[in-house]
Amino acid sequence: MKNFAFIVITVFTSLMGFGQSVETIVSKYYETIGGARWNDISSMKMTANVDQGGMKIPLEIVSMNDGRMYTEVTFMGNKIIVAAFDGQKSWSTNFMSMEAEEKPADDSENARRASKEFPNPLVKYKELGYSATLMGEEKIDGTSCFKIQLTKGTVLVDGKENPNIEYYYIDQENFVPLLMESEILDGELKGKTSQIKFSDYQEVNGVIVPFSSSQGIKGEESQSIQFETIEMNGEVDQAKFNFPKK
Amino acid sequence: MKKLFTLCLCMGQIFVSFSQATSLNAGDYFGDLKARHIGPALMSGRISDIELHPKNSNIVLIGAAGGGVWKSQDGGVRFTSIFDSYCQSIGCVTMDPNDPDNTYWVGTGEPWTRNSVSVGEGIYKTNDGGKNWTKMGLEKTDRIASIQINPKNSNEIYVGALGALWGPSEDRGVYKTTDGGKTWNKILYVNNTTGCSELVMDPSNPNQLYAAFWEFRRTAYSFNSGGLYSALYKSTDGGSTWKKMENGIPSGKKGRIAISIAPSNPKIVYAVIEAEKKEEKGLYRSEDGGDTWKFLNGDFALTVRPFYFSRISVHPSDPNIIAKAGLFGSISRDGGKTFKSLGSMHADIHDIVFDSQIKDKLFVATDGGLYRSLDGGSSMEIIENLPLSQFYHVSLDNRNPFYVYGGLQDNNSWFGPSASPGGIEARDWELVGQGDGFRVYPHPTNPKIVYSEMQGAEAIWRFDVEKQQLKTVKPYALEGDPKLRFNWNASLTTSKHHPDRLFVGSQFVHVSDDRGDSWTKISPDLTTNDKTKQNQEASGGLSADNSGAENHCTIFTIAESPLTDQILWVGTDDGNVQLTKDGGKTWENVTKNIAGLPANTWCYHIEASVFGKEIAYAVFDGHTKNDYTPYVFKTVDFGKTWQSIATTEINTFVRNIQEDYSNPNVLYVGAENGLYITLNGGKAWAPFTNNFPRVAVHYLELHPTKHSLVAATHGRGIIIIDDVRPINAIKEDMLTKNLSFFEVPSFTLPEKSNFGGTASENQFVGDNPSSLAIVRYFLPKRHTFGKMTGEIVDASGKTMCNVEVGKLKGINTVVWGFNASAPKVAKGKGFSAAPAPFVSAGPYLLRITKGNETFEKAIEVKYDSTSTFTLADREKQQTATKELITMIQDLAYLVYQIDQWDAKATEYKTKHTKTEKYVDALRMELTAMRNSLVVTTGDNYVGAAEDQLREKINEIYGTVSSYFGAPSSSELANIRALSNELNKAKKQFGVIQETRIKAFKALLEKDTSIKMPEILSFEEFLKQ
Repeated sequence: MKNFAFIVITVFTSLMGFGQSVETIVSKYYETIGGARWNDISSMKMTANVDQGGMKIPLEIVSMNDGRMYTEVTFMGNKIIVAAFDGQKSWSTNFMSMEAEEKPADDSENARRASKEFPNPLVKYKELGYSATLMGEEKIDGTSCFKIQLTKGTVLVDGKENPNIEYYYIDQENFVPLLMESEILDGELKGKTSQIKFSDYQEVNGVIVPFSSSQGIKGEESQSIQFETIEMNGEVDQAKFNFPKK
Repeated sequence: MKKLFTLCLCMGQIFVSFSQATSLNAGDYFGDLKARHIGPALMSGRISDIELHPKNSNIVLIGAAGGGVWKSQDGGVRFTSIFDSYCQSIGCVTMDPNDPDNTYWVGTGEPWTRNSVSVGEGIYKTNDGGKNWTKMGLEKTDRIASIQINPKNSNEIYVGALGALWGPSEDRGVYKTTDGGKTWNKILYVNNTTGCSELVMDPSNPNQLYAAFWEFRRTAYSFNSGGLYSALYKSTDGGSTWKKMENGIPSGKKGRIAISIAPSNPKIVYAVIEAEKKEEKGLYRSEDGGDTWKFLNGDFALTVRPFYFSRISVHPSDPNIIAKAGLFGSISRDGGKTFKSLGSMHADIHDIVFDSQIKDKLFVATDGGLYRSLDGGSSMEIIENLPLSQFYHVSLDNRNPFYVYGGLQDNNSWFGPSASPGGIEARDWELVGQGDGFRVYPHPTNPKIVYSEMQGAEAIWRFDVEKQQLKTVKPYALEGDPKLRFNWNASLTTSKHHPDRLFVGSQFVHVSDDRGDSWTKISPDLTTNDKTKQNQEASGGLSADNSGAENHCTIFTIAESPLTDQILWVGTDDGNVQLTKDGGKTWENVTKNIAGLPANTWCYHIEASVFGKEIAYAVFDGHTKNDYTPYVFKTVDFGKTWQSIATTEINTFVRNIQEDYSNPNVLYVGAENGLYITLNGGKAWAPFTNNFPRVAVHYLELHPTKHSLVAATHGRGIIIIDDVRPINAIKEDMLTKNLSFFEVPSFTLPEKSNFGGTASENQFVGDNPSSLAIVRYFLPKRHTFGKMTGEIVDASGKTMCNVEVGKLKGINTVVWGFNASAPKVAKGKGFSAAPAPFVSAGPYLLRITKGNETFEKAIEVKYDSTSTFTLADREKQQTATKELITMIQDLAYLVYQIDQWDAKATEYKTKHTKTEKYVDALRMELTAMRNSLVVTTGDNYVGAAEDQLREKINEIYGTVSSYFGAPSSSELANIRALSNELNKAKKQFGVIQETRIKAFKALLEKDTSIKMPEILSFEEFLKQ
């Protein structure tokens, strides 16, 4: 009878998928998206045409494995860097003057702190000294997910340190994130929850990346981007990261 | 091994059958169908508790009576809801003094025990400032009044649980945990009718605790505050032993007691006691830690309605500044000897909290929201972004957009639009009643006439909104009639068959066929007429409280069949269901036929079906008898038999049911903890939680033509699911198809435009519905791998534009703004945009590509039949728009060619220092030409350059393309002039091509190191 009870418990727990540690889940996620092949990736260039009511705005996002990045849009034939980090400074273009301006010091410092997170902070959490905790299982829009809290040290807001926490919802069937959440810590939306939903995962150079992401505020409208191309280790105009000399 | 295999097989079968049984449980398939909140917040709603951070004035928490927990991080300017997934009735919110940045405790269940109070479901904790919550037990305590945490030990926590209001319960008293809430011990218990109404801890000595115990009980028909068991207790050993404080405390029966310690001098303790003798009611002060007490003051402001206002607060740094909750709230600066009223604000004050960092800053919780004062309470400002409105009811009209009508707890009666320019703002709501508001109805065919009522039908009004004429139209007792008994929330409704007909329920059904001017009684007393439940004068206990809230043995719901005016169903608050099939001539009591329903259970709502005269649903609410079972019944034979259709998936009591008008198997239920939906006639229910908090839903209404499900929530205002048709169209076979479209109506091109809203930055603005084309489809599984995209295609197969597609499991949405693609604009400096034009009426196709599969849905776009524009007008507009698009793109191509040649000439120039003169001339000519065609200098603000041809064409294009009527003669003349200018430019470029460019080409042919420019064709350029 005792053995029977043991078997029942064993069968149930294996069927229910209990006992998955956060290490196992993150490891499965990492393997699913390409695992060690990410070590060979030094840059990722993503292009999209953002549709604003029928107006197509070409978008190019480049992320480097050293943390540098830029986002460029092409508007009326003009290329505009709307956000960039050159490794030291974060900057953007003022849409009134169309000139580059440095972002607040907090933004640059936060970008510097995040500069080793490529391709993403969850899969490198141990290496980065972050902590990941399995919060439980939760259904996201009807799909069963593991909820993982990633604590990334602190983030600066108005010169003050704040907890830097992200939540990842990993699809239990496919082991890729469907949703990432974090609290907005600054500005008028402070206290609300930012959400990014991921889909359209596809293989590029042996690694798996989401070709679609939808960003918004929880409970409110969102804007999605459908990437047309994602290129790994391609040609990158290094000058675009740098704050232009005036 | 064989046995193990068999066992595994059995387990597998269990899982398979489980899966099959739940395959149509709606919960997994709501997808991206979500609710929107329209508030309003102008009257906000009842707030039960306030908690301020001890060291950071920016952090403010509030617990709402029915609207959850909200947090401000900017000193109370803006608030965010942080408790949507849990019980919205809040008793107490407490920050851990050891970790006030992150650790909060929430005790659910409001302690201000009015008749409409909700119930709690235990205590919760967050360790991260409200992002994640864990339930920590005490589920059966019903309402938690106080949480006290040892400032030196976060694991040691005391909870004052008031307990059940509507019946006996042993789950009340003072609880203590020493392991951070893993386990709880009840350390002070009096009896099953006496709970802990307040618990305070000496901040300088956490072993010293004061507890107020209150003997109380409410029934549907009476309220009692007070008894011999009410008392004040003190412990000096962390709750191990308790001593009743009696020296100077009134003897005999006592009612509710407020108690508070002066943080700056913990020996000083204040108590406000509801005593048996009038002269002993009031404020008491102890200066020796509760050993002796001295009566100070029995002012009205201190003694009024103790059950509702028993909270006293002492200033953190001054023991003589105290504030007492009450009808208006009052403050003393002389240690309680004298009081003055707080500044003007909404009445009924439940909590007052002083800021510990800013001496004159305080917050006040009222029946009408949260107020903040920066001058010690003299002037008060309301926080305008807390949509906590507590609706009792909602009705709808047939306007476009439709309006919602409803009454609120202590906040009058209102109507407001379901859509408004810029969002639904405070100014959009119109006041149509006073007092506590309940049922509000528009006249069915003339929405300028609105009926409303106040508590206990003290008044029923007919209000002509346009003429601002107000008439009281309530039915009165006729000669020989007994006193008419109206419920606090009196039954009032209009007829579906006779526009001028009104029904009102007392214990009788009253009918008016002249909009309330005259009334006929068409029933006998339909209640149990139990005299023992009609002694409201004696209600209140030690403090009389005969407000009408306990009126009983009344008709609560009247449901006229939508199929015939002869059938009326009536439900009473004492548990009767009565039916007439002959317009009120005869009545049949069918209550006894409802098997499984306890006697005298409040009939809260009857829904007469649209699918058959003999079909009806009845919902009963037993919570006023301490029974939280959901009672939902259906009859298909005029009440002869009833079938229970509630399942355990609905885990609390319910108040309302709404039938779907097209699918008889789809039903919507309003429960104390949210909205539930069944797809199979009640075999399985699922909570709808997509932007729908776990809030009490008091009433549901389905718009018959807009298909919007509108919920009157008692704490989060009006919440709308705009179109429930996808829900009622989910079919089991959709689970086996990769993608299934739902049916779509033809779409009307929206022609309205406006300048947006006027709400200030910190006012709540309700979400608008989408006015765009919405196509929905069903995915059996979330789309995760591979591309999935959408496009709109016209009848010729030409792609109009791309659209975002939903990729969730279940219902998904595509929204199309009726736009084609925007024209390609010439490159230049600045943002001279040309938005996409609207499409014309006609057939289109939504095409979704998912991996290798393509799915198509035909869409029909039509013009607004009420539009003032003729087809001829539209054709003129479309012709002009097309011409302008051609001009914009021709110009873009012209500038492109200029740029290409200019770039090549510049390249040549850099390579050949001795350039032929005409290369310089070419560059000059190209530059001059470009400068006349597009802006090339300046910025996008006041440094902008003069408009050139691009900017001028784009401006007239924007004007013409965004209007649906014919262009004016001056607009057409402007187009002609610009067209001529463009043609001249094209001709001029043609000359340059024939002369200088031709010569330049000859130069290039001589220098093979420089490539000839590859000028794209016009078509290629547009595709680029």
